[in-house]
Amino acid sequence: MNTVASHDYLTSLLQSLPKKPTDSVSWLKQLRAEAIDQIGKQKFPSLRDEEWRFTDISPLTKLPYRPSLTVSDLQLTDIDHLFLEEPSNRLVFVNGHYAPQLSNIIDANLIIGNLPVLMADHSSSIQMHLGQYAQYQDNFFTTQNTAFLQDGAFISIARNTSVPSPIHLLNIATQPEVTNYMRCLLVADTGSDVTLIEDYVSLQESAYITNAVTEISLAPNAQARHYRVQRENKNAFHLANCTVALAHASRYQSVNVALGAQISRLNLDVRLNDEAAECCIDGLTLITDNQLSDTHTCIDHLKPNGNSQQQHKCIIDGSAHAVFNGKIMVRPQAQQTNSSQSSRNLLLSSQAHIDTKPQLEIFADDVKCAHGATVGQLDSEELFYLQSRGLSMNEARNLLTYAFGAEIINRISVSSLRQRLEQAVLNQTQQIQDR
Amino acid sequence: MSAALQNLVNQPYKHGFVTNIESDVAPKGLNEDIIRLISSKKNEPEWLLEFRLNAYQKWLTMSEPDWQNVHYPKIDFQAISYYSAPKPKKKLASMDEVDPELLRTFEKLGVPMHERAALAGVAVDVIFDSVSVTTTYKEKLAEVGIIFCSISEAVHEHPELVKKYLGSVIPVGDNFFAALNSAVFTDGSFCFIPKGVKCPMDLSTYFRINTEGSGQFERTLVIAEEGATVSYLEGCTAPQFDTNQLHAAVVELIALDNADIKYSTVQNWYAGDENGVGGIFNFVTKRGLAKGVNSRISWTQVETGSAITWKYPSCILRGDNSVGEFYSVAVTNHHQQADTGTKMIHLGKNTRSTIVSKGISAGKSNSSYRGLVRVAPTADGARNYSQCDSMLIGDQCGAHTFPYIQVRNNSAQVEHEASTSKIGEDQLFYFAQRGIDAEEAVSMIINGFCKDVFQQLPMEFAVEATKLLSFKLEGSVG
Repeated sequence: MNTVASHDYLTSLLQSLPKKPTDSVSWLKQLRAEAIDQIGKQKFPSLRDEEWRFTDISPLTKLPYRPSLTVSDLQLTDIDHLFLEEPSNRLVFVNGHYAPQLSNIIDANLIIGNLPVLMADHSSSIQMHLGQYAQYQDNFFTTQNTAFLQDGAFISIARNTSVPSPIHLLNIATQPEVTNYMRCLLVADTGSDVTLIEDYVSLQESAYITNAVTEISLAPNAQARHYRVQRENKNAFHLANCTVALAHASRYQSVNVALGAQISRLNLDVRLNDEAAECCIDGLTLITDNQLSDTHTCIDHLKPNGNSQQQHKCIIDGSAHAVFNGKIMVRPQAQQTNSSQSSRNLLLSSQAHIDTKPQLEIFADDVKCAHGATVGQLDSEELFYLQSRGLSMNEARNLLTYAFGAEIINRISVSSLRQRLEQAVLNQTQQIQDR
Repeated sequence: MSAALQNLVNQPYKHGFVTNIESDVAPKGLNEDIIRLISSKKNEPEWLLEFRLNAYQKWLTMSEPDWQNVHYPKIDFQAISYYSAPKPKKKLASMDEVDPELLRTFEKLGVPMHERAALAGVAVDVIFDSVSVTTTYKEKLAEVGIIFCSISEAVHEHPELVKKYLGSVIPVGDNFFAALNSAVFTDGSFCFIPKGVKCPMDLSTYFRINTEGSGQFERTLVIAEEGATVSYLEGCTAPQFDTNQLHAAVVELIALDNADIKYSTVQNWYAGDENGVGGIFNFVTKRGLAKGVNSRISWTQVETGSAITWKYPSCILRGDNSVGEFYSVAVTNHHQQADTGTKMIHLGKNTRSTIVSKGISAGKSNSSYRGLVRVAPTADGARNYSQCDSMLIGDQCGAHTFPYIQVRNNSAQVEHEASTSKIGEDQLFYFAQRGIDAEEAVSMIINGFCKDVFQQLPMEFAVEATKLLSFKLEGSVG
């Protein structure tokens, strides 16, 4: 890590900062001012930091860091191929800025929209949650995101409401050499039920940065399914932090699919703040060429009777590099916790490599915790079996690689999204064999 | 669980006593003069002094590591006396001439040396504080060409071997404590098995810290030439002291083509009292180099003592088809902390490694498994299997797992699994039903839990380890 570069990076970052937050709401002004203050104190993460040991993000420092411009002339017809086939509530952000002309809300009684707009009517509710879960004190990129906080999605689900159609958050990048700040806050009240899709795409091929922060709060008995699809171009940098707070007997299911970006990093923190909360976190990383994809998750059991399950899979080709760090904390009070985690990795080429670290920290004795990790290639016996049934070597390899990835994708309940991702995996596996 | 089990663990340390032998102690502190003093006291050749000074220079530039999952007050390295030796006496011709005080100590420890040597056929190279006092069975070993002596003796009698291998696996600047050891090590064991020789008996050494306030820095070097086989045993006990003692040993193993080294440890240094006062800081660097083709290095450890255990016996699998093994049981109770595990570095083709780690935490203790499996791009067909299980006894202890897996070769197969469990009410009830009381039930469950590791120990150690574990955990289950 070049210290001079990171210094320049910080300088240019600080220069592009608004000198003073201009928000009319005083608490928000305060929040941003604190974050701006914090930026100067933080250090750009380098390989010397344990959290960033395997992920060298120094190429980032070579890019200019202007926040993106607001103007966008995107038409519905330019992006309709990205929409879900099912009826959905769609919020579109272009380069981090809300695009109302492209968005479409079909559930009338849903509180959903752009943060600054909803601030007028829902200030107290937003204040209670915004910035409360994604702590920026020790996270460089969350701090930045908070300092530059402008547009963002705010979704509030009323008590005992079940949102029938999924909410599709479409983040589109159209400008090269900019930083796009994305923010999302989902607050689900008692007994509510919601499906949220975060979708990151790019409509150009040059480098840029996405800095995304998502905060999710589930009240008692609330239920959320959260699908996160990162399919940005292969020059992009994607840095995301997602924090989830679970109340009593709430359930959180998430599937994270990482296909794109030159360097991508996802921090996913789930806190089981009260008894009998449940989470199920799955991930699929499918990368090739020179891509680097890093997934850091932390499942923190704070109270008894929690349940967590996690499966993370990586399919790595070319000279790509995947990193997985899955931490499970079981605090002293969290008796009767049931937790399982598995990290499975498929190396398809001799240049591909993986650094995985499933980590358990347990402070309670009456718990069931297990984790496992495997690294390997396709099973020769399985290949042989398929060949003995008349498939060619290539077909057999395709089928097995596809099946390896499909296990994760099948957990997505939105069928058009699932099909699209299955196709993406299929395309990639075919590409692999065609070489 | 029952109160009877609560009482099971809190047994006082059985080996806590101080032997009164006049010691020759160097002034406290560390500087070049002290290193020269150690070197001259030991009458060492110039190259070894240079080795020490070089290590000291490296050490000065290093800072104490802080990434580990253990906590302890800062060590004042200038407050430690780096040399202490029993006063030199006339050369001993037989066991009868050994200081009777010393012999009594060993008897208290349950190591009747002559008896043990005769009955068990074990050659014991006894380390008392830092200087080797007596060596048995040396002549018998010499017949087949095996050199087994203290490292200071080896420096004088086999300088070419020591010079060639010392620091070759763990370079002087490897880490903070290895550098410190390289600068100030006073004694240790040296073992050389020549080409094609299968060592006719298990080799063993007893380490023991005696003088209060003196850190002990042993250095062990085991070399197995082409086709040689050796099983080396190391066992530790220490007397009860209130001030913390630093123990920073370095162990290097070198296995050439087709050689096989098995290194077993039972560690029972003083762990401090139930309030976490006192106890040994056991910061050890152990590494084996499987240099030749088809070579094998196997570490087995039973870690029950020390206030802090911090060590990672590692294998560098350089030779094609070489094998690395690590079997470990780590038991912590009261305020003990253990951060232990292994590193398997796969460099050669078709290298294989197995890791079996069992951690048992009781009381307010914390134990961590920290392991690294690295498969280099050159290690075609590498294979690793790791299993680390933890058992928690009580709700105030912690168990942690930090397995790093780094794979750079797509023909490698790496598997890791970990689990945690506890001694269930239902299990105890089942035992009670069959007329077995809680104490014995716990001991049986624990022994079952650790069976995979105990099987790897040489017979007499396995018996000792089983006993050690039961009295270590007495009173902790409740």
